[in-house]
Amino acid sequence: MVSAGLTLVFGMMGVLNFAHASFYMLGAYFAYSLQGVIGFGPAVVLAAVLSGGVGVIVERFFLRRVHQYGHAHELLLTFGLSFIIAETIKLVFGNYPVDYRIPAALDFAAFTLGRQQYPVYRVLMAGVAIAMFAALFLLLRYTRIGIVVRAAIYKPRMAEALGHNVKLVFMGVFGVGAALAGLAGAVAGAFYTTNPNMALEVGVMVFVVVVVGGLGSLGGAMVASLLIGIITSLAVGVDHSLVDVFALVGAGPWAQSTGGLLTLKLSSLAATLPFALMLLILLVRPGGLMGEKA
Amino acid sequence: MRAARSAIPFAAPLLVLFTGLVHAGPVKIGVLETLSGPQASTGIAYRAAVRYAVDKLNAEGGWNGAPVQLLEYDNQGGPAGASDKLKAAVADGVQIVVQGGSSAIGGQITEDVRKHNLRNPGQEIVYINVGAEALELTGEKCNFHHFRFAGNAQVRTKALVQAMKQANVLGTKVYSINQNYSWGQDMERSIEENAGPGGYQVVAKTLHDVNKIQDFAPYVAKISASGADTVITGNWSNDLLLMMKASKAAGLKVRFGTVFLDQVGNIANAGDQAVGHYVAQTFNPEAAGEEGAKFVASYKAKTGRVPVATEPQTVFGLEMVADALRRTKPKAGSLDVNAFARNLETTKLKTPMGESSMRASDHQVLLPLVVSTVSADAKYKADDTALGFKPVKTFTAEEAAVPAQGNCKMQRPG
Repeated sequence: MVSAGLTLVFGMMGVLNFAHASFYMLGAYFAYSLQGVIGFGPAVVLAAVLSGGVGVIVERFFLRRVHQYGHAHELLLTFGLSFIIAETIKLVFGNYPVDYRIPAALDFAAFTLGRQQYPVYRVLMAGVAIAMFAALFLLLRYTRIGIVVRAAIYKPRMAEALGHNVKLVFMGVFGVGAALAGLAGAVAGAFYTTNPNMALEVGVMVFVVVVVGGLGSLGGAMVASLLIGIITSLAVGVDHSLVDVFALVGAGPWAQSTGGLLTLKLSSLAATLPFALMLLILLVRPGGLMGEKA
Repeated sequence: MRAARSAIPFAAPLLVLFTGLVHAGPVKIGVLETLSGPQASTGIAYRAAVRYAVDKLNAEGGWNGAPVQLLEYDNQGGPAGASDKLKAAVADGVQIVVQGGSSAIGGQITEDVRKHNLRNPGQEIVYINVGAEALELTGEKCNFHHFRFAGNAQVRTKALVQAMKQANVLGTKVYSINQNYSWGQDMERSIEENAGPGGYQVVAKTLHDVNKIQDFAPYVAKISASGADTVITGNWSNDLLLMMKASKAAGLKVRFGTVFLDQVGNIANAGDQAVGHYVAQTFNPEAAGEEGAKFVASYKAKTGRVPVATEPQTVFGLEMVADALRRTKPKAGSLDVNAFARNLETTKLKTPMGESSMRASDHQVLLPLVVSTVSADAKYKADDTALGFKPVKTFTAEEAAVPAQGNCKMQRPG
């Protein structure tokens, strides 16, 4: 799942950012506007940089002012921001999906499984997501920058006292987060559709992934996104309903005639399963799979 | 006693309000569409078409010597918003409510209208449905004050199957995939019902969540495993686009028979992946010939865009409303909604596509349909691309029609 890459960053930012999916959308639209001028590859890279730039501006001039008031204010601000970005996109590009597609050079099959081909672009998307994860992980775990960033997030006062510019670090982290979301959007927008609703479409799932994985945990987000991807994909193939369960004890015909919930096929619920999973996680392990103990 | 007296100051303005309603002067038409939020693009298209038709009606003299007033309400994308705004519209004196964007919202409006009319005899309102295609609206929920000016799953599927069969592109194995709500379930049932006349077998059926799925690859794997030649689907918007993209990416050799491929932006986004797929439309400018060209030019002059997807059917629906209005004489200076509804039941209209008429038994319009395929040869291109919809076969209203549903028991005012 492509949202893997997007969510990885989201978890560690420390701010509840409702507008994160909007950066994803911005990335797709930036890449769409630029691809005609400078080609697909450079457009994707530049789109990520531009989204990051917007992220930096948002952090510097908006988020920083409300940061001291806590999560609720940040949340409200980014929530409003997500609407503003969506409406601006509608004003500039119109209400309908735009003509942003995979370039012909990348539109071929990587390999064939049975009757089905596996598109090379999908491999590429997975590659980008994995590269993003690996780079972030290494950066945070093994470099000096990583130490400073982690310190600035968990113990801002202490980091400041040691002479690090915490504000700059926050701006940088938010910018990088926005840039990665933009990169994900630029890459995924071509494969899926680029329309003014795309932020809404992935936005909810992003939150589900973060909650399931555990707030603030990179590894948790990775595991959660893979888990959700696999569960929904497998569920599509399962045409069983509760009728089959009843049939085991010989009550199949009764359940069939009762209808309603009993005949609902699992496959028709595939897109709802992540939410069920989230509820289950919240009940059993409120901190998420790999989150800190609350 | 004291309580009763203190209630008078509150009751008096209400009384004035209600008596004011009875003697509303000019006819007010209210558009109750989704004008904000994610689905706004659909609602705005309906609104443009209604505006065009009402302007035309007023240019031709309006009703009873006065121009018809058009009021616009934003239902905010859901039945709850629609229900609230319907009350506001009634308070504003709206007698004709127009909506089309969603069957879920349509279901709410038709129920609210029915209840309002039961409780307020003499102050009826009428619901002009220009796009909510769920069968129940003309089936078990059918009522005297609801009129549908769009197709439905049965007529769309019937036309699609017949045209694709004649063009020899239907094959014998059909996969049915639809969205899991009233419209998608109707489509699934219609696809099964047409298996006999279409000479195919439904190899598998899928219902999925509406506009929640980003990745259709697992569904495509199922289609592939079923060995289907053709996929028939009532999906619209992103669900349709994502599914076509995923099947193309998987190198699947199937043909799509669709209902909503002509929505704005679909061809732009799908591009070459849409070529060779089919769509059952209510209007196609190429099939409509010279009259169609005139209509397209006039619509473009007024709104700045060519009419696509659901806009023409909305315009023709409102023209039928205009025709019925003209034949309804004012009663004490205002519109008698029941008399108007009776006239609407007998309306016939010559559209560029052929003759449309209203069926009195269930208030379903009988309208001509055209089945088209996406091709570079089309005379009119879609979305500024090199592709357009090439008509394959047109059906007259009689050919396209399916019988009224048996569960429609319409109560007529005495």
